[in-house]
Amino acid sequence: MSAPSAGLVAHLLADARLPVAGHTQSATLEPALVAGLPADRIPDYVRLRLRTVTRVEAATAVVALSHQRSGRDLRPVVEAWQARTPSAAMRATARTQGKALLRLVARLWPESAAVHAVAALSAPPRPIVLAAAADAGGLSPVALAGLVGYDDVQTVISAALKLTPMDPVVAAQWVHHALPEVDTLAVAVATLTRPGGIPASGAPQIEAWAEAHAVTPRRLFSA
Amino acid sequence: MPDSPTRRTLRLGVCGPVGTGKSSLIAMLCRELADRLSLGVITNDIYTDEDARFLRSAGVLDPARIRAVETGACPHTAIRDDITANLMAVEDLEADFAPLDLVLVESGGDNLTATFSPALVDTQIFLIDVAGGGDVARKGGPGITRADLLVVNKTDLGPYVGVDPAQMVSDAGSVRDGRPVIALSAHDPASIAELVAWVIGRLAAHRDGSLHPADPGPMAPHSHGPSHEGHGDHDHDHALAADHVH
Ligand SMILES: Nc1nc2c(ncn2[C@@H]2O[C@H](COP(=O)(O)OP(=O)(O)O)[C@@H](O)[C@H]2O)c(=O)[nH]1
Ligand SMILES: [Mg+2]
Repeated sequence: MSAPSAGLVAHLLADARLPVAGHTQSATLEPALVAGLPADRIPDYVRLRLRTVTRVEAATAVVALSHQRSGRDLRPVVEAWQARTPSAAMRATARTQGKALLRLVARLWPESAAVHAVAALSAPPRPIVLAAAADAGGLSPVALAGLVGYDDVQTVISAALKLTPMDPVVAAQWVHHALPEVDTLAVAVATLTRPGGIPASGAPQIEAWAEAHAVTPRRLFSA
Repeated sequence: MPDSPTRRTLRLGVCGPVGTGKSSLIAMLCRELADRLSLGVITNDIYTDEDARFLRSAGVLDPARIRAVETGACPHTAIRDDITANLMAVEDLEADFAPLDLVLVESGGDNLTATFSPALVDTQIFLIDVAGGGDVARKGGPGITRADLLVVNKTDLGPYVGVDPAQMVSDAGSVRDGRPVIALSAHDPASIAELVAWVIGRLAAHRDGSLHPADPGPMAPHSHGPSHEGHGDHDHDHALAADHVH
């Protein structure tokens, strides 16, 4: 059996129908709305994420891919991600998502050395696991970073459809409008190779919402 | 794969519409079984931890053994098509409290059509209650017709809602092709004993390898005429279930 093209693997990894519990995630939109974010500002929320917390995730994934492909230890990448992700709730969610994704990629690429390397880590977060999938599937750094950004946009917008229903073509239009910003992010982080280069671009308000959400008794989505 | 035929723990799903008594049934089983079995509970709720908090406050099990899973407003998805979050929660619970004998998974009360994937639970109970009306059993649906056990709950309320529980059980039996039905009430110790005996029987079957997880729905099996009544055509159902596990 020949290997699939990297383009199709990227489609597969971006597909919400993948069994990785994506339906449990709102990318912190739920507490943002609870805190008063107006629904018509959701596109701004998406943009804010792409410039801050999602930038950390995308850069982490790209640096992990570089480490995978040059045979360097992944642990410093995880440590750099941790240091730039101050919210314990967001770290916990990223690790839970990483675990779900690892279940899948271990099945898709059982022979991959990159997948074995992340499986050997203790509770790897999602961007680290996604980098292993990118290595196994032959994705470029820019495709990987674009995937992280795209997935984040779709996570926010699809949760928006549950939390504040609207005509879904409007939601799809929001996603479409955010794509150039995803491209900008992908290009900006694609050349990173070292953990120290991962930007420390957190968003204190998003982190505070995530922290509050983790302890709220009535929530639909994960923190 | 974490799953193997030798897994000790029986995973039992409890599903059915909101308010039919799923959380109460789980609390009842904990109360009845906690002294002889090592138990754990996973809840799926519309709002994440309502049921988990109810069960913790019932004081029938160590609160740490009761965990809630987020469903992102998709309780149906969480137990049927993307079971990842539940499977991880079950595996974590089994690892943290090994060896567990029984994990009870409560579905988010979605609707009459939601049933568990056989990849998540080994066996499942579907609940309806007399207060939902006598017609519910006759109308059927995948859980009513093909869950491993159908519980017609709250039989004590029959006189107040003008429903004859015996008739409801008999209606349910007629669409279930011989599969068991229990008429349950929290106020009827004999019915509780019957439920407990069924669970113990499932656990024994799981241990001796004779329990084969089956999918109750959503596809209706073809050509089950009344002539089959009392003789469950189980091979047929297993073949159908296998077709649906992708
Ligand atoms: N009368 C009566 N009420 C019951 C019985 N079982 C449960 N209930 C009540 O039914 C209501 C809903 O029960 P609950 O377990 O929360 O249902 P769930 O939404 O399916 O989990 C609660 O008020 C219970 O006390 C029963 O056997 N008899
Ligand atoms: Mg309940």
